[in-house]
Amino acid sequence: MTSMICLQAQTTDKNEDWLGEFKVGIRTQKTQKLYWENDLTVNFTSPKIMNNRVHLGFSYVTTRLGSAMGTNAIKQDNFLLNMGYFFRPQKKLQPFARINTGFFYADYEAAIFDELPNTAVLFSVDAGLAYKFDAPFTVHLSVGYNLNTGTGADGPGTLYPVYYQMSIFYTLFKNK
Amino acid sequence: MSTKNIFIKLLLILSLFFAACSDSPEIDNETMLDGDQIFDPSLYNPEQYLVSLSIDNPSSTQKNKSVIIAVHGYSGSTFEWDEFRAFSAINADILISQVLLGGHGRTYEEFKKSTWKDWQKPIMAEYNALREKGYTNISFAGSSTACPLVLNLIKEGSIGDNGMKNIFLIDPIVIPSDKTLTLVGLVGPMLGYFEATNTTIESNYYYRFRPQETLNELLDLIDKVRKDLQKGYKLPTGTQLKVYKSIKDDVADAVSAVLIYKGLKNSDNLPINIEMLHSELHVVTRLNGRDDVTQKDRNIQQQVFEDMLMRLMQ
Repeated sequence: MTSMICLQAQTTDKNEDWLGEFKVGIRTQKTQKLYWENDLTVNFTSPKIMNNRVHLGFSYVTTRLGSAMGTNAIKQDNFLLNMGYFFRPQKKLQPFARINTGFFYADYEAAIFDELPNTAVLFSVDAGLAYKFDAPFTVHLSVGYNLNTGTGADGPGTLYPVYYQMSIFYTLFKNK
Repeated sequence: MSTKNIFIKLLLILSLFFAACSDSPEIDNETMLDGDQIFDPSLYNPEQYLVSLSIDNPSSTQKNKSVIIAVHGYSGSTFEWDEFRAFSAINADILISQVLLGGHGRTYEEFKKSTWKDWQKPIMAEYNALREKGYTNISFAGSSTACPLVLNLIKEGSIGDNGMKNIFLIDPIVIPSDKTLTLVGLVGPMLGYFEATNTTIESNYYYRFRPQETLNELLDLIDKVRKDLQKGYKLPTGTQLKVYKSIKDDVADAVSAVLIYKGLKNSDNLPINIEMLHSELHVVTRLNGRDDVTQKDRNIQQQVFEDMLMRLMQ
């Protein structure tokens, strides 16, 4: 079964030698003392960009599929672009460090709160470990720090500094 | 280098690190509430602050009079509601109990060892004492941390149906403005305490030094209240609640009002009252002792007091 999955995942096109690996997955994120936020993530590497050591990615996580499901938690969305440097790219266990930027939006749902800031440019750093399984799955675990949090005078109040995330990827495409 | 040497060096570094973490601030006893000379006046003359002690045998007229339990926030004292007492004395016929939170208004060391449940106890003590004496028209006004304390009492069912007529929350804190508070469990033990900026007058009525233990307690309290609001609950029958929240507030993030609005409903499931104030002060109802108070601040304070009294007299 595992070998079948591997064969399916490693669809190789020798002409597209700029593409190293393309992965899609789910991301679950917990903010310290606040919400769970979950949804999708994609990740891309290229042998042309520092020999697959640099990963580019996009993530979308939201409380709509986390803490706000069926509760009164604030519905909020995080759209993130990230660029990370992965050490030991040939090994199964790879430490990494990333910078992330993107957009944050919180829905306060009542007109009386229209004056409150509910959007922000995201800028964060995170670091952690990636593990590549024999099957075409990879897990990323990391701890991040939002550098642009709410302050009471500016920024959305539910944008907190420290978060923990786990992403589980399935490799859709990989050049040998 | 031998393992033993490395171990000894590590121990030395750790010892220096923890020695550098000051656990006791330098307190000026003559000018700071934190010291052992200035205490909250309600500790000397409680009968001047608590209605339950000021009137031995209330008449039936007094029992039906509006009594409001007014409670200050974290690190504060009864001073926080002095201006409301003065305003009410001129503009309304009500009774006011200014309750001192447990662990507050005393020394730094006593504050340091108090928990949020200790802070909460005097509120219930005065509420129960008033009920036992036959008062029927009890209300509550709280600022900042007093708000999650009373929200917790409501959630726990400690205030039953028709137990309180009005609840006024001034700048309730559910989400802190300073988000680094969420890291106090990590950095707090290294620092020991945090220092606030008080004016000379404020130093007599507010702690300057906030022990990390009490900040952890504050964080535990607001985390619990936030989770309760996330699940949702209702006010007791016969209780009306109004939130007054500054739009810009460097202590209690304005989004705290959003969480209360979403999570707490009237007993008939209708939304609670919220008024967003165009103020940049935390607890605009207390202006004494601040620097740079503007006429706009005074107008907002008066407007809030008038609105509270109007609701109390209804």
